[in-house]
Amino acid sequence: MSEVGKRESFTIPIGPQHPALKEPEHFLISVDGEIVTDAVVRLGYAHRGIEKAVESRTWVQSLYMLERICGICSHIHAMAYCLGVEQLAGVEVPPRAQAIRVLVAELERIHSHLLWFGVSAHEAGFDTLFMYTWRDREKVMDLLEGFSGNRVNYSVNVLGGVKFDIDDAQAIAIREAVSFLEERTHHYLDVVTKDTMFLQRTRGIGVMTRSQAEVLGTVGPTARASNVYREIRVEAPYAAYDKYPVKIILDNRGDLEARFVVRLTELFESYRIILEILETLPDGDLTTRIPRRIKAGETVSRVEAPRGELFYFIKSNGSDTPERIRARTPTICNMMSVMKLLVGHQLADVPMILAGIDPCFSCNDRMVALNRGRNKEQLLTWEALRQYGIDYYKRRSD
Amino acid sequence: MGSTTIKDVLISLTALLIFPGGLFLLLVSLAYEWVDRKLLARMQNRVGPRWFQPMADTIKLLAKEEIVPDAVDASLFIGLPIVALAGVLTAAIYMPFPGLPPIGSFPGDLIVTVFLLSLVTICLGLAGANTLDRFSLVGATRTLTQLFAYEAPFLLALLGPAFVARSWEISEIISYTDGRWLLITQPFGFIVAVIGLIGKLEIPPLDAPEAETEIVAGALTEYSGRGLALFRLAKGVALVLGLTLIAAFYLGGVATPLLFLVKTLALLLVIVGIHALFTRLRIDQTVGLWWKYGTLLVLVQWLGIIIWQGVMI
Amino acid sequence: MKFGTMLGDLTISLFSKPSTERYPFERSETPERLRGLLIWHPEKCIGCGLCAKDCPAGALDVIVLDKESKKYQLRYYPDRCIFCGQCVYSCRQGCLEMSNEKWELAALDRSAFEIIYGECLENE
Ligand code: SF4
Ligand code: SF4
Repeated sequence: MSEVGKRESFTIPIGPQHPALKEPEHFLISVDGEIVTDAVVRLGYAHRGIEKAVESRTWVQSLYMLERICGICSHIHAMAYCLGVEQLAGVEVPPRAQAIRVLVAELERIHSHLLWFGVSAHEAGFDTLFMYTWRDREKVMDLLEGFSGNRVNYSVNVLGGVKFDIDDAQAIAIREAVSFLEERTHHYLDVVTKDTMFLQRTRGIGVMTRSQAEVLGTVGPTARASNVYREIRVEAPYAAYDKYPVKIILDNRGDLEARFVVRLTELFESYRIILEILETLPDGDLTTRIPRRIKAGETVSRVEAPRGELFYFIKSNGSDTPERIRARTPTICNMMSVMKLLVGHQLADVPMILAGIDPCFSCNDRMVALNRGRNKEQLLTWEALRQYGIDYYKRRSD
Repeated sequence: MGSTTIKDVLISLTALLIFPGGLFLLLVSLAYEWVDRKLLARMQNRVGPRWFQPMADTIKLLAKEEIVPDAVDASLFIGLPIVALAGVLTAAIYMPFPGLPPIGSFPGDLIVTVFLLSLVTICLGLAGANTLDRFSLVGATRTLTQLFAYEAPFLLALLGPAFVARSWEISEIISYTDGRWLLITQPFGFIVAVIGLIGKLEIPPLDAPEAETEIVAGALTEYSGRGLALFRLAKGVALVLGLTLIAAFYLGGVATPLLFLVKTLALLLVIVGIHALFTRLRIDQTVGLWWKYGTLLVLVQWLGIIIWQGVMI
Repeated sequence: MKFGTMLGDLTISLFSKPSTERYPFERSETPERLRGLLIWHPEKCIGCGLCAKDCPAGALDVIVLDKESKKYQLRYYPDRCIFCGQCVYSCRQGCLEMSNEKWELAALDRSAFEIIYGECLENE
């Protein structure tokens, strides 16, 4: 940040408290008039140390801890964790449970994409669209609440299966809501691709070429809007996705409009999968027994969260608590692309481009180590880290 | 002689401070703000505020502590909102405000009125430029940029009716437009006038100067308490007066309070509809819109008027 | 290219009821599976303590009052509870249940956040 200060340009701080971002993150935007010349991001205001915290919890308790990494995609975190642990323990989860996991994951994707859609409409100053999408999103929230008993942290997963079953009444409610949402999504797709005023804010803004998207390591819909073939549900089907194949949605324009179109089109895939699962839900148990102590070993679990690839590394030492868990969330992969894209755009486009990657800041507060080729590793013990913290704040207060 | 002067002064004071200017106007502006917010909410399928909400907001803001930042010129910081409000309240004198003939008038008062209305925007820009806050500075720049963009077309649009009425005095223009729907003969002028009003009051979609998601509250970011309340009031009054002016000029006059109510509310509905329907424009798009289309439309309108007048003669 | 693609929505909404629910004056029916306050049915409890062991929030304590006559006490702290439902799932005896009616749990008094189920057993 000091580099920016030296240039003595006019800088605009966005966050950690700012109406565009309701979450604590800091962006320092240098502008020349209205044009952005440099952008710096600072993450870490909401670091909660969840990965460390789970090391002192049992495997069962960790599930709920990890579910709370993100409020929007809570199910997918729990699912990634469960899939990993089940793989370590070597248990086979009944197909019905896997199908229900996928069903909830798709419902969650719908709610997440609609939420994002509303927020980015708000960033563009189109509050009407915001209000309508959130009104319609309520339908999915009601479904999730009716199915699991909670609106946000559904806690559908348990190690070895799922807690809740789908009965006929649920199926009817889901079908009804899905058909309503399908109609609405057609309408919204119409709005984002035809409304002249809205297109002024999205078409040709924040263009990321395919090679850029690959170099910057973007994932999820952000990457797919730049025509990068990257979708875990297709490339490495997990849970029940091998039985319910997903069609990958790509767009080659790479601008904000493409990101809107990709996400909205993905919703249709989600609707289709949900209806298919309801038709062909396999019979059988919901759970299988899983030991309290997980066999020693390590594994990797990858799932496609609404925002892109979610990656879990899980290591067990044979006890009833995890030895190490590491989550890599999609937003942190996408964040650097924003810093790159902002340069050269208008200040007014900043919130839109930022919203374009569907940032989730609570997911974001993971540690990243940048390897700048120096290859100098640093390992701090707990005490040293504590001392560092104390010294740091002492220096700050002087 | 002496008694009549005192009486005159009393009447003038009443007109200025209580009815139809002053207090009454403030109340009407709060009511219009409520209609605005309620209509918007209903269009967005929400419930919207209850009728006393704008008043409660204002009273609350007035009662709150006003924080004067260190780095500002304190007298300007405190004075600007007062000037803004006083300006628009003065403008009310020359207006056929609640459907009554204007209290004061002199040749050329139309120009004075339009500039009194612009005073709000200028004060806003100065207030933003007065602080060191970076959001305010960007907001102030945008406010003034927008002012220069819409001011000329807006004024020209209002001069259209004045031209056909052959007077620059509001009372004479409205006696000409009474019953004549200039909307039909000068449709472009009407469109530009309405959009100009939206731009003047920074109502979405032309609210780039106070775009919440970019620059918090624009020029008003540092304002709190009384100053903010006064600026809000000034904007509310400017909205009512702007609606009055356009309704009187283009919609066949506002000869009675009932006509005033019906016509201004109809106009408000249109403005709220535009607010709800469109995405915020970036400042460069706003300026482009004005210079490319706004000015062009007005000029076409003027050409039309002049040719028409020529034909008539 | 169109202007005002949402005009239809606006007009419909203008003449229809807002979709906002005026809670607390009107409330929609709570779903059957809603996870509200935890309820304990002591009859079948065997005091295994699994519920307390698995609770991620430390919101449960199982206290053995008398092992012979199978008297147990369940201390439940709703302010710590994250309503995950793991305890209900873990209890093999089916003693635990989450209410779908008691979910408005805000209180001004801390005592509301310490529920001791099975207190009466002590008095017997
Ligand atoms: S619902 Fe979850 S947090 Fe609450 S008592 Fe049961 S296990 Fe604990
Ligand atoms: S798990 Fe069930 S049986 Fe065991 S102590 Fe808890 S309530 Fe009692």
